[in-house]
Amino acid sequence: MAYAYLFKYIIIGDTGVGKSCLLLQFTDKRFQPVHDLTIGVEFGARMITIDGKQIKLQIWDTAGQESFRSITRSYYRGAAGALLVYDITRRDTFNHLTTWLEDARQHSNSNMVIMLIGNKSDLESRREVKKEEGEAFAREHGLVFMETSAKTASNVEEAFINTAKEIYEKIQEGVFDINNEANGIKIGPQHAATNSSLPGSQGAQQAGGGCC
Amino acid sequence: MNFIRGVISGQPAGPQHSGVETIQKLCDRVASSTLLEDRRDAVRALKSLSKKYRMEVGSQAMDHLIRILQTDSADSEILGYALDTIYNIICSDEEDEQEEMQKQVDDVGAQFTERFIQDPENITLLLTLLEEFDFHVRWPGVKLLTALLKNQCAQVQGIILVSPMGVSRLMDLLADSREVIRNDGLLLLQQLTKSNAAIQKIVAFENAFERLLDIITEEGTSDGGIVVEDCLLLLLNLLKNNSSNQNFFKEGSYIQRMKPWFEVGDDNAGWSAQKVTNLHYMLQLVRVLVSPVNSPGATASCQKAMFHCGLLQQLCTILMATGVPADILTETINTVSEVIRGSQVNQDYFASVNAPSNPPRPAIVVLLMSMVNERQPFVLRCAVLYCFQCFLYKNQKGQGEIVATLLPSTIDANSISAGQLLCGGLFSADSLSNWCAAVALAHALQDNLTQKEQLLRVQLATSLGKPPVSLLQQCTNILSQGSKVQTRVGLLMLLCTWISNCPIAVTHFLHNQENVPFLTAQISENLGEDERLVQGLCALLLGICIYYNDNSLENYTKDKLKQLIEKRIGKENFVEKLGFITKHELYSRAAQKPQPVFSTPEHMLFDHEFTKLVKELEGVITKAVHKSSEEEKKEEEVKKTLEQHDSIVTQYKELIREQDAQINELKAQVASMTSQSEQMQATITQQLTQIQQHKDQYNILKLKLGKTGDQSASQGEGAHVNGLQSEELSQLREELEELRRQHAQQQTQLAEQDTLIASLKSEAAHSAEAAEGTLANAELLKELEALRAQVMSQAADINQLTESQELLRRAEAVQSGPGSVDNGVDMARVAELEKQLAAQSTEAQKLQEEVKGLNASRAGMEADLASATSTAAILQAEVSKLQQEVQESKKEQDDLLMLLADQDQKILTLKQKLKDLGETIEDEDDLDSKDQSEDDEDEEEEEEDDE
Repeated sequence: MAYAYLFKYIIIGDTGVGKSCLLLQFTDKRFQPVHDLTIGVEFGARMITIDGKQIKLQIWDTAGQESFRSITRSYYRGAAGALLVYDITRRDTFNHLTTWLEDARQHSNSNMVIMLIGNKSDLESRREVKKEEGEAFAREHGLVFMETSAKTASNVEEAFINTAKEIYEKIQEGVFDINNEANGIKIGPQHAATNSSLPGSQGAQQAGGGCC
Repeated sequence: MNFIRGVISGQPAGPQHSGVETIQKLCDRVASSTLLEDRRDAVRALKSLSKKYRMEVGSQAMDHLIRILQTDSADSEILGYALDTIYNIICSDEEDEQEEMQKQVDDVGAQFTERFIQDPENITLLLTLLEEFDFHVRWPGVKLLTALLKNQCAQVQGIILVSPMGVSRLMDLLADSREVIRNDGLLLLQQLTKSNAAIQKIVAFENAFERLLDIITEEGTSDGGIVVEDCLLLLLNLLKNNSSNQNFFKEGSYIQRMKPWFEVGDDNAGWSAQKVTNLHYMLQLVRVLVSPVNSPGATASCQKAMFHCGLLQQLCTILMATGVPADILTETINTVSEVIRGSQVNQDYFASVNAPSNPPRPAIVVLLMSMVNERQPFVLRCAVLYCFQCFLYKNQKGQGEIVATLLPSTIDANSISAGQLLCGGLFSADSLSNWCAAVALAHALQDNLTQKEQLLRVQLATSLGKPPVSLLQQCTNILSQGSKVQTRVGLLMLLCTWISNCPIAVTHFLHNQENVPFLTAQISENLGEDERLVQGLCALLLGICIYYNDNSLENYTKDKLKQLIEKRIGKENFVEKLGFITKHELYSRAAQKPQPVFSTPEHMLFDHEFTKLVKELEGVITKAVHKSSEEEKKEEEVKKTLEQHDSIVTQYKELIREQDAQINELKAQVASMTSQSEQMQATITQQLTQIQQHKDQYNILKLKLGKTGDQSASQGEGAHVNGLQSEELSQLREELEELRRQHAQQQTQLAEQDTLIASLKSEAAHSAEAAEGTLANAELLKELEALRAQVMSQAADINQLTESQELLRRAEAVQSGPGSVDNGVDMARVAELEKQLAAQSTEAQKLQEEVKGLNASRAGMEADLASATSTAAILQAEVSKLQQEVQESKKEQDDLLMLLADQDQKILTLKQKLKDLGETIEDEDDLDSKDQSEDDEDEEEEEEDDE
């Protein structure tokens, strides 16, 4: 499928907060009540439309367990967006957000868009973290915030798409260097052809450097 | 001293000895020298010794070298020497040594590797050094890390994995502009990704697919050199058994980029060994994505992508091309097999492919010709069989088409059909062909009851003069003739597949009187090792005859066959023989994967699908045989009662379902009713609040009224009257007041106008000739018109007011309805309110009347005004007439004056003449002037008269 841009995402957060279920709901539009523990990292993809442009999302769903933390770190650098997920029915997952955020900020590129997600919003009766708390945390750390439910699919689309919108805006503002794939952004094959002037000149420069 | 040391260490004296000493000295220099040059020279010397005195350098210098890496990172030269030296220590490049020697040396390498990686920091250090762009550091660094990975893969992988940027740094090597480093980077990544899914995923995440595919394209795809091969091997590492990466590969649209790889021309010249290798790995890469061991969904989506981007079509072109090397052709067939396996669209496409022969033949037929051809390579024949199996896998349509080519009604005598080829193979002298054809035919029947029954119709013409035999009969005939094991195994597998789950076929089989005795004889006999498998298969076939028996043949009912087993073979013996199948060494190998792979043609005994059938049937047949007829009867009874129970249960289930439906209906009704009642309650509460509001408003109104003192006495009691009304009333009152004010204003305005008109009239009366009068009149008219408009709007206001009053009255009437529900007291209050309203309405009416009166007076005034304006107009006309007359007379006067002036002139000239003549004319002169003044006076009089 032709796309204008390709964004790489990662999903991070404590084990059992519903990262894999969010991905499954987003890519397959289904919910699996019993999900195996993610081993290492799993991959999913979907196409979305923003501003009339086709955007391909490549999403890496990481394992939340502590033992996989070092593996997860390898994925921060190449991602344009991150969904940082906690479980609104488990306060400890909210308390660990700071650690996750530190990790992400340390290893990612500075422009990575981070969306804070309070998942399992369908379990209102067991709620331990107030929505206001999530909002406050997000405000404090400059994140976008949203409460979702992978079970009812509430806000799941929005979470992924709003993150993409944020990235898209950053591209429009020229914050992201879209020619550096290490940022987790790639221009689509057709798009690149129409925008050939810029990458073309860069390519020529690179070729010149290679000769020397 | 030298001598003693030599004796103690047991090493031969001489150059070796001096080497050890030198190494010691060099190590000391590396450790203690303060000058960089000295250290550098020492490390260089160590490097030169490291190959020859590997053991010694390794054991003595390793720690010093590591320290150099840590401390001398600023000098790339010394780093390079150190890295090279460590590399030489841990791996040996010498390949001409003997194998045993090599092994020993490798042990040394492993030991030193272990020592190096004992401290994980050393690996981290190495990774940091790889960031150094200098060739002298980066290249030996890459080589060293590769060697370390080769020796202690898992451990080194583990260390690299936990260093956050480790894999990313190594991926950067692929972008290095120096080919040597890029290529050695490929080798490094190959080692790094070996059987470590986590690293494979990170490498893929770091855009490995994109870069590798780019390199392959740059290097000329299959025509490229060993670099292409290395890229392909790395890709294989990344994708094999890694579903996440496979998914990423597919989602990244990289399958489409594989298609051009297979655009191989028909030229026979271009098949170098490297090209064959490259193409081989390319095909393997395709197979990894559609492997039968992958999850069905993943394989299906890759198959779909391969069809849509034309990859399958490209592969089929290679399949039918000439001059393709046999091993490539074989692998291509295997690849096509897995690309079409279980995918209806791809299978249909494959069925439509034709070979470019004249006349064009279907590819399937061409391939089957190779399968039953003894002269074709064994692996190729296996590949064709696999392809055929994959074509028929979950393909009822394809199965039907193949079987149809054998049926009498559809046989086309003119061309070779798949069925003909299979029958030919089944009964040829070549046991391999027999086996392949039997298995191929069995796949045409797999899980397809219709085709199993259809195939029973097939009749074969044997030799002239003899009646035709059925295909089933012919199979058993050959079986009993005692041919090769391979042939018999093939036929038995075909028969088992054919009659299992098909009672009609079982009946057909049992109908031949010779079959059962033959089977019992085969099973009961005590034969050698070679025959064991055949015995097992015979037992399976007999077991199927029992298990799928519908008791339609009196001689071979289930019971009778069981008795036969008991008498002739013995139950235990039978079960033991049955077990021979699964105990066979080749059985488990065939059970592993669908592709028929055999090390030698003799090993070609089991088919993958057949192993599944055995697994399914072994247990049930054992059970069926062990059960006595009584038990069976009991079981049957139990089954019957169970069925009865089932029917009862289903009845109850039905009942429950009905009741469920009823309950649901009732629930719905209750829900709607509750919602209705809720609605009603809501309206009641609403009304209650409304009433309360009205009461409150009324209170307010009452207070207000109390202030005005108007009707306060009557309202004092009616405290709780409809609030809405009171509000409206107050509004109304306000409006009225405003209206009244307006009225007053208008009245004053009217009065002003009246005075204006009066003054105008007087003006008009006494100064009818004055021109200004008209102007004033116009102004007056304007004012009048404005006034009229005002009056009109006022009238409209009043109308509105009356309307709203009426509305109010009506609302009151309506309100009094629900209000009455509350209590009677309210009614009274409402009545009072009504009274109030009535009073107010009369007031409003009064006002209206007033307005009407005003209107009337205004109309009168307007009429006055009109008459005044008309008189003014008449007067004006007269004035203008008079003015004209005046002007005319003025003109006449002017003319006369002119005449007088002329005459004066004449008189003067005449007087002058008279003077000149000498006459006195004074009197005349006086007389003239007198005349002149008299004339003037006359004129004035005339003017006055005119006016």
